[in-house]
Amino acid sequence: METIEQQFKNTPTTQLDKVRVEAFNAFEKLGIPTSRVEAWKYTNIKTKLSKDFILTPLESEVNTAVKNYIASLPPYAFRLVFLNGIFHQELSIIPEIEGLYITNLKEAFANKSSNIEQYFGKAVNYNEEHFAALNTAFVTDGAFIHVSKNVAIEEPIYLHYFFTATDADAFVQTRNLVVVEDGASLQIAEDFRNASNITVQYNHVTESFIGKNAQLTLVKLQVETKNVKGIHSLEALLQRDSTFNASTITFEGNVIRNNITAQLLGENAHADLSGLYFGKENASIDNNILVKHLAPNCTSNQLYKGVMNDESVGSFSGKIFVDQIAQKTNAFQSSKGLLLSNEASINNRPNLEIFADDVKCSHGAAIGQLDENALFYLQARGIPFELAKQLLTYAFVHEVAERIQAKPLRQFICDKLKEELKLNW
Amino acid sequence: MLSIKNLDVRVEQKEILKGFNLQINPGEIHAIMGPNGTGKSTLASVLAGKNEYEVTGGEISYLGKDLLEMSPDERAREGVFLAFQYPVEIPGVSTTNFMKAAVNAKRKHLGLDPMDAKTFLQLLNEKRAIVELSREFTSRSLNEGFSGGEKKRNEIFQMAMLEPKLAILDETDSGLDIDALRIVANGVNQLRNKDNAFLVITHYQRLLNYIVPDFVHVMYGGRIVKSGGKELALQLEERGYDWIKEEVASLA
Repeated sequence: METIEQQFKNTPTTQLDKVRVEAFNAFEKLGIPTSRVEAWKYTNIKTKLSKDFILTPLESEVNTAVKNYIASLPPYAFRLVFLNGIFHQELSIIPEIEGLYITNLKEAFANKSSNIEQYFGKAVNYNEEHFAALNTAFVTDGAFIHVSKNVAIEEPIYLHYFFTATDADAFVQTRNLVVVEDGASLQIAEDFRNASNITVQYNHVTESFIGKNAQLTLVKLQVETKNVKGIHSLEALLQRDSTFNASTITFEGNVIRNNITAQLLGENAHADLSGLYFGKENASIDNNILVKHLAPNCTSNQLYKGVMNDESVGSFSGKIFVDQIAQKTNAFQSSKGLLLSNEASINNRPNLEIFADDVKCSHGAAIGQLDENALFYLQARGIPFELAKQLLTYAFVHEVAERIQAKPLRQFICDKLKEELKLNW
Repeated sequence: MLSIKNLDVRVEQKEILKGFNLQINPGEIHAIMGPNGTGKSTLASVLAGKNEYEVTGGEISYLGKDLLEMSPDERAREGVFLAFQYPVEIPGVSTTNFMKAAVNAKRKHLGLDPMDAKTFLQLLNEKRAIVELSREFTSRSLNEGFSGGEKKRNEIFQMAMLEPKLAILDETDSGLDIDALRIVANGVNQLRNKDNAFLVITHYQRLLNYIVPDFVHVMYGGRIVKSGGKELALQLEERGYDWIKEEVASLA
């Protein structure tokens, strides 16, 4: 820590360094939140993370688990691979396409590519968000993706983040920066997985800037996360007529926290945020959503579904904020939970803060168990009890997967769900 | 095929079936009629294995096996089929996928490999035609938003897909218009053969004009109080159930 602190006490020379020093100072004040901090009520993160975590980058030796997984992947057009936050060019596929600029953040910092200074740290609120501050100050590496005006990228870009804990106290800071200029469109899949058998800790931030009439679809996959303590912050700034589609899919998890903030800055912007989470054993999966309607005629939708087994705990906190000027807002929120054991639980916390008078906002929350009548119906056709449960669980969650508009990503998620639920149709 | 002896069944401490007896042989169609609340649907549910029913006495033997020892899904794989009075809506599971799971569960039970996609599709189309269900129905979520008639036709379609040995139709005709009734009955008639049997539970004699039963039983007070041929159904239609109740009362 000493040397890094030292580094930040030197006078910053560049705009980037300035942001990082500010973030560092903010983190020094904020620290790691306790459960007394309202937004961290359901995840006592301070007790979950190692007490003396270390931020120095780890070794990044590609192990068999990583190799095998990479080898199993279909021939994607684009792929960036990071291991313990360190970019692996040799495992990545980055074809040159006109109007699309992809590189790793480090490289982008060094070259000041595509005006990165204009964007880095501008979507996250590092003055108030503990982990955004920490990440902004100490980020190791990540992807930088910039799509030029009116360029439509048809193939999704897959960003693979692998973690192997070579030190149990390591706390890896990764980050993506995505810029979709006016009229452009892009699909991204972020895939996070533990490639070791021991616990890993990471803190990931994705900042995204969506220009006028632009579209961004982002699917976040948190799989193979049994021993993962992962904190995610996804920040999106939407200009007028733009669309942001984000889906967060979490399997298992030890401690998983997802913060998502979408700010609708221009008229007629649309944010669609959905999530699916499957908890097992003593997992804690906490989704914290904030949609800010800051302009008129915008729409937003939140749809979250959780399936909790064993003693797992799921949480959903969703806030819709409607500014005084954001008339004709349409904002919806739905959070549903399915409890597969008596010890599992889900906390649902909807929150509406509305300052405009001509808006349509609604929220709905429901938590239940599998319908006995439906189970019996399936069994009465010869379907074994376990399979009947899996089918109904799939039926419960499929709605979220169906919401993903980008077909390759939707297919990808549906396949993952079937794999997870051991369904082979 | 099915032999029910002295069956006593309770639901939440209330005795519903009391000393119920019935014998069904292959190739037969039995109709059970009777006033509301006499235990007809309870009988159907007990045969299918619904777990909120407590069997306190008697036995059910199906193809020489103790039916009560089998789970609902085992019974179905062994050829027992219940056409539900109220088919359940299951959003997110298409009828096609539902049937694929059911057909393959049965095949696995018989030691067969899963059916290949092409054969399955052919089977699906063939059986769909029996109950005049369009292709669109099988790709939609199971029963979701279906009309009453469509749900019942879907039940008969599933029956056709699974080719049960013993099919129990629980008030499949209730609420159906005459066209839907004809389609449902047609489906049953196409499926009947010398090796399978049907137990048709109904309120109305109307259905029995289309599905001609070999035996008609009247249920009252949790057991069969009168049995006869198809003419008994006509008699009931004409005279109602009061004379049966009086007969029972005079015997008591």
